[in-house]
Amino acid sequence: MRFALVGNPSVGKSLIFNQLTGLGVEVSNYPGTTVELQRGNTCFQREMIELVDLPGVYSLDGESDEEVLVRRFLEQQDTDAVIAVVNVTRLERNLYLLLQVAEYGLPMVVVLNMADEAAKQGIEIDPGPIRDLLGVEVILTAASQGKNIDRIIPAALAATRPSKVEVPYDHHIEAAVRSLGKISSADRKESIRALQGFGDNPDLLEAARTIADEIESRHRMTVTQIIAANRHNFAHQIAGLTVREKALHHETDPDSILTRIFPGIPILLGILVGMLLVVFIVGSFLEEVIVGLFNVFAIQPFLALGLPPLAEALGTSVLLALQAGLGIAFPYVFLFYVIISVLEDSGYMTRAAFLADNAMHRVGMHGGAVIPLTLAFGCNVPAIMSVRLLHSRRERIIASFLVTMVPCSARTVIIAGIVAGFVGIGAAFSVYAIVFALILVTGLVLSRVTPGERFGMIMEMVPLRRPDARLVMKKAWSRLSEFLFIAMPLLLAGSVVLGLLEFFGFMAIFEQLVEPYTMALLGLPGYSATALVFGILRKEMAFETLAILAGTADLGAVLSSLQLYIFAVVTVLFVPCLATITVLLREVGSRITLAVTLYTVALGLLIGGLMYRILA
Amino acid sequence: MLPSTLEDYLEAILTVTGDGGRPAGPQEIAAAIGTGETAARATIASLVEEGYLERMADDTVRLTGKGLEVASRVARKHRVLQCFLTEMLGVDADAASKEACTLEHGISDETIERLSSYMDGGAQPPPGRAGRCRGREACTLLDCKEGDTVRVAMIRGPRRNRRLLDLGVFPGEVVQIRRKLPNQSVVVRVKGCDIAISPEIATSIVVESCP
Repeated sequence: MRFALVGNPSVGKSLIFNQLTGLGVEVSNYPGTTVELQRGNTCFQREMIELVDLPGVYSLDGESDEEVLVRRFLEQQDTDAVIAVVNVTRLERNLYLLLQVAEYGLPMVVVLNMADEAAKQGIEIDPGPIRDLLGVEVILTAASQGKNIDRIIPAALAATRPSKVEVPYDHHIEAAVRSLGKISSADRKESIRALQGFGDNPDLLEAARTIADEIESRHRMTVTQIIAANRHNFAHQIAGLTVREKALHHETDPDSILTRIFPGIPILLGILVGMLLVVFIVGSFLEEVIVGLFNVFAIQPFLALGLPPLAEALGTSVLLALQAGLGIAFPYVFLFYVIISVLEDSGYMTRAAFLADNAMHRVGMHGGAVIPLTLAFGCNVPAIMSVRLLHSRRERIIASFLVTMVPCSARTVIIAGIVAGFVGIGAAFSVYAIVFALILVTGLVLSRVTPGERFGMIMEMVPLRRPDARLVMKKAWSRLSEFLFIAMPLLLAGSVVLGLLEFFGFMAIFEQLVEPYTMALLGLPGYSATALVFGILRKEMAFETLAILAGTADLGAVLSSLQLYIFAVVTVLFVPCLATITVLLREVGSRITLAVTLYTVALGLLIGGLMYRILA
Repeated sequence: MLPSTLEDYLEAILTVTGDGGRPAGPQEIAAAIGTGETAARATIASLVEEGYLERMADDTVRLTGKGLEVASRVARKHRVLQCFLTEMLGVDADAASKEACTLEHGISDETIERLSSYMDGGAQPPPGRAGRCRGREACTLLDCKEGDTVRVAMIRGPRRNRRLLDLGVFPGEVVQIRRKLPNQSVVVRVKGCDIAISPEIATSIVVESCP
């Protein structure tokens, strides 16, 4: 048995999915798309039931990746029943999607979620009319309290009939549906979709096109608009029957402070800065603990074994890679995702995107881009992956450039470890200032020269609510494992290569070759170039490699403050790490990836060179 | 239905060009409507996009077949109404023209036919500035203030903005402006949900103030 959960974004679908499935959730990309699909299993009366959590959508007729995915999933009839989750506090808008889902003719159960919030808002719900009109089981639930969640699976198992509801369309549309049905024996759903220009039957589409033109010239509204309006009006009627609003007791509207310029913008900045502070302070503490434990319990015992030199070099490389991966991945990335998940689930993220919209416009993107850009402070890899949230290729290209320039937690290690540690706190902040200025300039230039149409923001401000702690941890954990899965193998391979090169003495040759150039251009010794090159594998490795090659952890003793400063600036700007490059390839293709890489290399060397000329 | 302002534009273009055959420039049209050239240009652009006007080479526009049909129908309604008001009811000619400007948009084709035959088919176009209306501007969401409640009249480029439809912003729907930032980003409440819309999309949503 397989059931699919369908619903608008932020209706508590994920929470229900998690309560039904527990552990062992598998996140996979739907074939041919970049949209994530969650699958999980649950047991009911000794029967194994697979649950699929489809992404939240507003409609089945749209062209976004999520909408296409849900549509394709429902079209394949690959599920035994659909569990349609509805937010009762926004019933009318949710019913619009529900009516579309009902047209697909699959057995269905309707879950009216957030009954507790509705009660709080003084909304009284009568599930009777929906049950009668749609002819399917309706369950009133409160997922945040776990109320009635246990009734969903039995109801889905009992659901055998599709909904009998038919949206009463405009009489011209109904006539068109009838004639299309006669012409090519298309059913009601297919005809409605053909009238909007969707489908894969060319004859049907052509016939529908002719009729649609006729209707449009009479109504002076597009057929799509008429159909949408009919559905909305029907949803309005049903909502009117279902909901009885009692006298609204006025509650304070948090948006009156969150979405105004003042105090909204200071709050936004405060949250962003606070978030980074927590990540850095708690993260660096955890990192020290983990790295320290690793040294005492893994590396030292390993070295004490006294293995042959080659085996020892290989083993040490693997251990160092594991140490770096766990030291970075666990504390920084995990913490960051906890915070990001809280922001997402609480609904604050959409307020941030709204406030940032205009600023992001200057650099050629809409407010939603604040999400990848903020994510990038944690790690560029997931930030690049979330670039797909943006609508147009133009925005995705601009975002890929800017995101790869944002100092991620690994680069923060370099700034903190090298500049703050050996040069000074003020200098560390100046590195940030330089990088931010360059990001801004890059964005301004790119927004002028990148081809493609500009699209604006149309975004629902999801209701503010308290995030569910277990769901947040689960999300953070799944993102973390994704990160480990992508980055760890590369890190291991890179570390082994580095160890072998060093073991066989290739590094010394390389250093001698590049030393004249690095000295002339950046004023840095040859071994720092090696560190820079291996920083491509993982950014924080540049720091560690430098320490290893310099032969001491006290870098201040072997390099001048200026050299350290230039090294840090170049490393921070220079080339995204290998893991970022791999995801860039997947998201924006090889040409843009190459452009991003070349641009960052050139920028790093240029700025480093300029600094050496000016400051030396 | 087209918003009345847009019908006014089509009617004005028909009038200034005689029979709609020759192209008209934006200054000319703005003068006929009695509005600024910038406002006129924006409205003209949306009419071009909707296929009521076609752009000529030299910044002028001409009525398309579709546009001519709408303009002629509105102009005829104007003539019939003005005639009825002055001839049958004895309303002052200027006042009758103004009144006709308002009524012409709401009255059905059938009523006009009956009114016309009631007047024994003898409706002579009255002299003066027949078929021209000093109208209101075509308002977009951007012209509204925080707290306003307005009705959506038309969405320019509907194919681009499918998501607006799915979120409940479609012609005829009443929306409330919840927030308007100095940078022109707006939040509207529609169907109990708050929707954030960026300026360039808000400017494509033509609205009429709610009665």
